[in-house]
Amino acid sequence: MSEEAKTAAVPAVTTTAGNSAPAESKQLSNKELKELKKKEKAAKRAAQKTAIGITPEQQQKMAEQKIEKKKQQTATATNLKKQLDQTLLKPDVRKVPHLFGHLETREQRNASSPSISHIVHPAILSLTLKYSNYKVVGSTSRAKNMLIVFKKVIEDYVTPANTTLTRHLTGHLSHQIEYLKSGRPLSVSMGNAIRWLKQEISNISIDTTEAQAKEILCSKIDDFVKEKIEYSDKLIVDIASKHIVDGCTVLTYGHSQVLEELFQYCVLEQGKRFNLIIVDSRPLFEGKKLLKNLVNTFLPDDDINDLESINSAKFRMREPITKNHISVHYVLLNSLASTLLRDVDVVFLGAHAMLSNGRLYSRVGTALVAMMCHTRNIPVLTCCESIKFSDKVQLDSVTTNELADADDLIRNIDSKKPPQKKSFALEQFIKQQEEQNKPNKQQNTKKGTQTPTEESNEDESEPLKNWKEMKSLNILNILYDLTPPEYIDKVITELGSLPPSSVPVILREYKNT
Amino acid sequence: MSLITPEIKSLIDPVVSSLKRHQIEGDQEIALAIAQLLMKVISAARWTNTYDLISIIRQVGIIIHKAYPRKIIPGNIVRRVLALIRDEIETEHENTPMMSSMFSLLSTTKCEVREDHSKKQMSDMRAIIIQGIRDLVDEITNVSEGLETMCVDLIHDNEVLLTPTPTSDTVLNFLIKARTKRNFTVLVMENYPNEIKKAHQFAKTLAQHNIETVLIPDTTTYAVMSRVGKVIIGTNAVFANGGCLSNSGVANVVECAKEHKTPVFAVGGLYKLSPLYPFSRDDLIEVGNSGHVLNYDDFELVDNVEVVTNPLEDYIPPEHIDIFITNIGGFAPSFIYRIVLDNYKVEDNKLE
Repeated sequence: MSEEAKTAAVPAVTTTAGNSAPAESKQLSNKELKELKKKEKAAKRAAQKTAIGITPEQQQKMAEQKIEKKKQQTATATNLKKQLDQTLLKPDVRKVPHLFGHLETREQRNASSPSISHIVHPAILSLTLKYSNYKVVGSTSRAKNMLIVFKKVIEDYVTPANTTLTRHLTGHLSHQIEYLKSGRPLSVSMGNAIRWLKQEISNISIDTTEAQAKEILCSKIDDFVKEKIEYSDKLIVDIASKHIVDGCTVLTYGHSQVLEELFQYCVLEQGKRFNLIIVDSRPLFEGKKLLKNLVNTFLPDDDINDLESINSAKFRMREPITKNHISVHYVLLNSLASTLLRDVDVVFLGAHAMLSNGRLYSRVGTALVAMMCHTRNIPVLTCCESIKFSDKVQLDSVTTNELADADDLIRNIDSKKPPQKKSFALEQFIKQQEEQNKPNKQQNTKKGTQTPTEESNEDESEPLKNWKEMKSLNILNILYDLTPPEYIDKVITELGSLPPSSVPVILREYKNT
Repeated sequence: MSLITPEIKSLIDPVVSSLKRHQIEGDQEIALAIAQLLMKVISAARWTNTYDLISIIRQVGIIIHKAYPRKIIPGNIVRRVLALIRDEIETEHENTPMMSSMFSLLSTTKCEVREDHSKKQMSDMRAIIIQGIRDLVDEITNVSEGLETMCVDLIHDNEVLLTPTPTSDTVLNFLIKARTKRNFTVLVMENYPNEIKKAHQFAKTLAQHNIETVLIPDTTTYAVMSRVGKVIIGTNAVFANGGCLSNSGVANVVECAKEHKTPVFAVGGLYKLSPLYPFSRDDLIEVGNSGHVLNYDDFELVDNVEVVTNPLEDYIPPEHIDIFITNIGGFAPSFIYRIVLDNYKVEDNKLE
């Protein structure tokens, strides 16, 4: 890399420029063009550096260093990714209905994700596990947990030599995010938060010391969580609580963090009494989560100061708000059409995202609830923080969605509990072990005659246990659906209430601030 | 109850108790059981004229209805048999010399008939009626054959169908038969919580017959509806107004189909048509074990919940159905009342 390289590169450029006949330049493949450009750039840089006063020898050394560094990096992320693509279990047969063939399955996600555990922060590892186990669900709580973990990542981050925090941290975070994605795809709120964080990182001036920069970032994350999630929720709850009056009947579907806070607020702060219909669905049973959280919310004990009441409080059970204030009606989605909707006054729906064409992207089933209520002239309200607003447009639930594990629908039909999931690696390990044990078992079955009867019993309780072996059978388990704007009467955000058609307005305002 | 002699009672009792215990599974089996029972009753009962027979059968019908009040089909079969008997009486009348129409209006029919019928004719009558019931049994057992001829007219190649009633054998047979002529995909809904195992079994059977099958949870209906070509539902009972009863959750689906302008067709045998009108829709629906919805071992939750409901059926209004496919052809819901009039007599709509 010296004058020679420069001279070698320049004529090459000139020759192509000289033969500027369009036919010939087309013949150059993309690869060749790229290489040409690379050479050009190298030549230019070399020229610049010599102009500054760095000798060609020094330049060579620096270039070598760079290449080595690059090699290290490739060993970490991309290379491993390639290796993994090749080595990791080929997803046996992709069992996805052909309409949804474009969506990524869990197996694919895991296969394509880099297992770069040595650069991934342990907190990220555990968070990824929580995501994939549905221990952390819901757009807001996923974003909030992610930001809290990012704070840890930033605190533990050390800028490598020869780079600055501003430049390197973004890349470091990208690796973490890449790993997070292997649990579940990013939610809209997470995407927005990441975009914001990267912006903030790039805004830090190079002069600030590492410790200072970290401090600034951490406090900014704290502020962001407070402003965009916690205070927003409070504002939304305050606005939405006006729609719940004493004695009215409210219907909700699944679980949403804001709505849970809303119901608690209405009882604890405002002392309202109302009926709540919780509509739930398989396989996640998020309505049960809402119910459980409401059951575990207790009325405050006012007279705990004097000794006697403290003593009596020991014997007295504290009263959950579901006892006297909220009368809960728990149903599954299938009973929606019966007499249930007759005396519902208002419907509150949670949101995963509000799309820029006014559509609500939310837990699968939401659209059905919204439709049923809309046709019966029941107002449908949705509570959505502005962090969940997305500038994407989407017209149906098929094009973009998230595929969940199809086995969640097959296993434990009777359990009525959300799926208990193992991590992907553990599942693979168990599978391998089983395959190894199989030959032994077969020998055993020859001896014992009891096993066939056991198998037939299993067949009855789980008829689709071996569904993967059936060629023409597929199972579809998607997580979201899209509610058209005409079913939604009002979107309540921390910036106020608006019709779904005003979502793009908020997006624009939000971008400006 | 004096009409029900001990002999008849001993015939009815086993059927009544198995109805009460819901031991007879499947609408077709219930229909057949009732038809067989009526056949036995008619041959065992002592009657001197057909009007006595009619009142006996009406009594039997009331007893059966009380055994399983939410089930429409037993009542249908009883009314079909009654209509059969009345038809026979009419033809009998046509054979006897006609009186002037004005005179027959004035005289009470019962007295007149009693005079007419001799004992010889009675034994003929018994044989004719029993033959009629045999035909009815044949019709019920061969329901799917009549339906299957329709499938070619309704399904085109590479169509996506959705069925929210995986419990219906009629739908299953219909689809399997259609597969011999057409290639198509069936989306099967799970029908959680009551029929989920049957749904899985249904999907398995379809897949074994080489039909592209996709099992979807009940929630996914709206998401996939825009891609569905036709919705095919099984029915538990069809009312004279064109509305019908089907599995719980079906009303959601058909409403969703209506929103998407997706055609809905209901399949069911002629014996499911009922001459009744669904005046009080809340009474029609049977409610199941709420433990299927919220486990009783979730004590903490159960203790804090006011109501948990688990309806087993849904009423589907006629405006949400495009056509009914029966073994005698396809009809618009608005035309069902005519088919009902062909098969039932208005006098028997109320058994009591």
